[in-house]
This record gives sequence, C-alpha cells and structure tokens, in this order.
Amino acid sequence: MSTQVAQAPSPQSEHIAELAALSRRQRTSNGVALAVLWVISGFVALLFVAIIVLLIVRGFAYLIQPSFYGAGQAGIGSELFNTFYILILTEIFLFPISLAAAIYLIEYTPAGRFVTIVHFAAETLAGVPSIVLGLFGVLVFSDLLGLHTSRLAGALTLLCLNFPISLRLFEDALASVPRDLREAGLALGGTKWHVIRTAVIPSALPGLTTSLILSAGKIIGEAAALLFTMGLVNPSNVFTLDPTIASDTLTSHLYFILGPGGGSTSLTHAQELAISAGSAGLLIVILLVINIVARSLGRYIQHRVTAA
Amino acid sequence: MQLPLQQEQRSQQSHLSDRVARSVFLICALLLIAVILGVFVFMGLNAARVFGEGASLQGFFFNANWDPIGASGTVSYGAGGLILGSIVITILSVVIATPLSFGMALFFTELCPPWFARLLQPLIEIFTGMPSVVIGFLGLTILVPFVGQIFGPLEGGIQTAGFGWGSATLVLIIMILPTIISVSIDTLHAVPDSVREASLALGSSRWQMMIRAVIPAASTGLGTAVVLGMARAIGETLAVALVLGGEQLPRKLTPFIFFQPNVNITQVIAIQFPDASGAARDAYWTLGFVLLIISFLFICISRYLASRSVYK
Repeated sequence: MSTQVAQAPSPQSEHIAELAALSRRQRTSNGVALAVLWVISGFVALLFVAIIVLLIVRGFAYLIQPSFYGAGQAGIGSELFNTFYILILTEIFLFPISLAAAIYLIEYTPAGRFVTIVHFAAETLAGVPSIVLGLFGVLVFSDLLGLHTSRLAGALTLLCLNFPISLRLFEDALASVPRDLREAGLALGGTKWHVIRTAVIPSALPGLTTSLILSAGKIIGEAAALLFTMGLVNPSNVFTLDPTIASDTLTSHLYFILGPGGGSTSLTHAQELAISAGSAGLLIVILLVINIVARSLGRYIQHRVTAA
Repeated sequence: MQLPLQQEQRSQQSHLSDRVARSVFLICALLLIAVILGVFVFMGLNAARVFGEGASLQGFFFNANWDPIGASGTVSYGAGGLILGSIVITILSVVIATPLSFGMALFFTELCPPWFARLLQPLIEIFTGMPSVVIGFLGLTILVPFVGQIFGPLEGGIQTAGFGWGSATLVLIIMILPTIISVSIDTLHAVPDSVREASLALGSSRWQMMIRAVIPAASTGLGTAVVLGMARAIGETLAVALVLGGEQLPRKLTPFIFFQPNVNITQVIAIQFPDASGAARDAYWTLGFVLLIISFLFICISRYLASRSVYK
C-alpha cells in the first residue's frame, strides 16, 4: 500500500474510485447473471407445467366419459386391462429377482470387485436404449425361447429393461436400514438369512414399497421395448390371463394410433383424436398419482424414522 | 453340556436355509451380468450377419441409401443417412439443453427459495419418467403443425415442413432436460459448503462464487450429466419417430433440411422392423448394435468422468 501511495500523484482518491468502479461492475454482472438464472429456471418450469396442464386439459373431455373406458375399438378398456396385466406380470419377475440381487449385494458381499462389476453391468444395462432391448427381446425371448410376440416375451423384456433401476432403488432402501439392527439380530444367534427376513426386510419395507411404485411408473410408461415383443394389436379375447397372446398397452396403442396404425383402423379421425388425447391425459394422471403416492410414502417413512 | 437333539437339528436346518438363500441371491445378482453379456453377444452375432449378405462395411456407414427390404427394386444397406440423423439431432439437442439445464441446476442449488424447490423437485422427477410416446403425441399434434406453419411458406408451401430434424431436436430437448438437470443438481449438492464459504469470504459476488468456485469443483460431474443426456438422446425412440416422418435422408442438402421429413436410427428401427423379414431383418440387428455400442461408449465416458470427480 505504502509504495503505491508514494508512486501515484493523487493516490488515495484515484484508488478508491477504481475500487468503487470494480465493485459496481461486480454488482451489475452479479445482478444480470442471477436474473438470467431466474429467467431460465422460470422458463423451464413454466414449460414443464404447461405440458402437464395441456395434456390434462386436452384429455379431460374424454376422461370423464364412461364410454371412453369401453372395451370396443373406440374405447381404451382393453388397453387399460393390458397395461395393468403387463405391470403385474413384470413385477412378478422383477420384484423378487431384483430384491434378491440387492440383498446379495448389500448383505452378503463386502464392497469390492464383485460389487463393482455388478454395478458396472447395471449401469451399462440402464444405458442401453429400450428399442435395442426390444430387438434383443425378439432375438432371445420371441425367437430363441419360442415365445413369439406375446405378453410373456414383453414382460421378460421389461424385466431386462427395469432390472438395473429396481436394483439400485432396492439397494438404497436396504442400505438405509441401520447397522445395529443387523448386529443385534446376529448377536442373538440368528443366521444371516434369518436376520434379513425378520429384521432387515420389515424395517426396509416402506422403502421397498416406494421403489416398487416408482418401477411401476417406468413399466406403465414404456412402449419402445414392447413394440416388437408384445405386438401392437389385440386378439378378440383380450380379457384373459393367458400370457401367450399378443396385446397392446396404453402407450403402445397410443403410438399405433398416432404412427403406423393411423387411418388403417375402422376408427374415424375424431375417434382417433379422442383415443390419443384421452390416453395421453390418462397416462399423465397415472404418473402424477404414482409420484404423489411414492412421495407421501417417503415422507411417512422419514416421519417414522425421526419419531422413533 | 450337550445340545438337545431337536435343537441341534433346528440349528442345522437354519444353516442349510441360509446357504440356500445365499446361493439364490447370488444367482439373481449374476443374472444381471448374464443379461448385459447376452445383449452384447446376441446383438453382436446377429449384427455381423448382414455383412455376409452383400453389405460392405464402408457402404453401411457411408452410403445414404437405406432400403434393406428392396422397396425400390434393389436392396441397399446404406445407413449413413440414419447415423447422420441421430448424430445431428443428438448434438443439437444437447447443445441447447445443456446451458438451460446447468442454469436451472445452479438456480436450484444456489438461489432457489425453499418453497419454489418444493415445487420444482416433483416437476423434474415427473418429467424424468415421462413416457416418450406422450411427448411424441404433443410433438405430433402441436409442434409439427406449428413448425410447419412457420417454415412451410419459406419452402414454397410444402405440407410436410413441420416434420424433420428441427421438430425432433425440440422434442429431444424436452426428453433430456430432466436427465441433465437432475444429475447436475446431484453433482452441485455434492460440492461441500466450505467451497462456497471460502469463495464468498474472499469477497466474491454470488455469481463469481458459482462460476469460479462451484462449477469448477463440480466440472467432472457436470460432464457426466451431459454425457448421460447424450446417451438418452441417441436412444430416444418413439417421441422422435413420430415427428421425423421420413423414409430417407433428403437428396438435396439445403439449410431447409431441418424442416423436411427425415430419418434417424431409432425411427427406422421402430417403423420398419415389423415389416422386415429374412435377410432384411439382419440389417436392423446391425443398426441396433451400432446404437448399443454408441450408448456403451457414453456410459464408459460417464463412468470415467465420475471416477475422476473429487466430490461424490
């Protein structure tokens, strides 16, 4: 400081003016930048809200008509049935298998090479585009295992698609169970499996349920993997539990009406519009409900954990 | 003292069930590895077949005449146009979505009032799981007519001006925004507050703190977010397929190419594969394998970046 004062002619005031200008510049650039961030976020948030509102508004007129849920060509009754059928069929495979894999990774094996390999495999599988898994499903489930285009082939393809996500969610749920619960169980002389069954799983149950609901949302929204494995059209007797028949879902039917099947069915243009707008609206409503349920369950867990 | 016989039996039984349970769990974990290996092996083996049926490696990647079914008389396996389409719309959408996502993620972690965060978080989560066909529906019924109205007259009144890379890019932006935003938010949250405090204590403004301290500290994680967005974009199928609407790369490469019906890899697989049979099907395994390899590369890059990040 003292050397600067000695060199400059009218040092003090000039230096202060310089600093004041710097501070002003900083304050302006800060203000501009923060305003830009506000604008960007507001824009994106508005865009998202607008899309949801638009979907619900466009579908609303059809969603309140009982005939929209009819079983015929002009209704989506059969698609709704198929969607929940395929959801349950997939979860029958997905839930136990991914839970078992998660239990092995969290409870039985120490963090190390094997866990790293499984996580790498999971990440890679999660990154495979669903249309590619659809092609894989055709090769393995439809052709190799001889399931052709059927609900079972579709469910198995969805199992491959959702395995990594469920595994990660279940792992998180199990990992959040406190260690002393396990230690107490083992100290009482229980075997590992006994402790898992009687102590770990019950206290992880809310977390596991949330994970199950989230994976259900993924299954309901998926279509690309089902195009080739489960087909796009229904047989006449669609309301059966037969897993060997081909069938569509809400999403794949929506794609069919908009894309390859547009104009080729016996539906009028207005009916096609009704089905597409209605299905899109219904899908977004289901998704919202799933998100809200999973969220409130999560809050309930937190409440229980902190209260305990 | 000796354990009573019954008790010893029970202990043996429970040890047996423990071993059985353990091996069942191990098999389920191994199944995951088996699935991903199976995907590579089956797709790879079938992808190679097309090259024994008249397709050349060079022709497949650099010729733009895609007609494996032989609709125009001669069978041709030129996937160059499809690959170009996927690359163009992926890069464009990521370039546009990245600054928006980073801006939103910064806002969310550094500026956002809590009440607004409580609104934003579920919104982002819902959009992460948004079915791609629903966005495709909106794209087809709202975006395509809108874009067509603007660019149709410029091209001399073409009816199909709304279809093409332009609309596909816009649709892709919606699909990848939530992915990049949520990964970026996780990364920025992982940066410890001490970094922020140190920067502010040196007299930085809030913006300087974000741009000079927080973003550099999170740079590898933000890179991961972008790469994951690209992985999502390249594999996105139905939303893109509905608004591309083409069968071939347009013959003339003018600036209007963004507003002419066009193609990419996923659209061609989704629309044409069900009609293909025999040798024609082999060409689609190859396309699928190309997608698989590209997305695998993206995952490897994102893992590499994640492994180098300081804060996790």
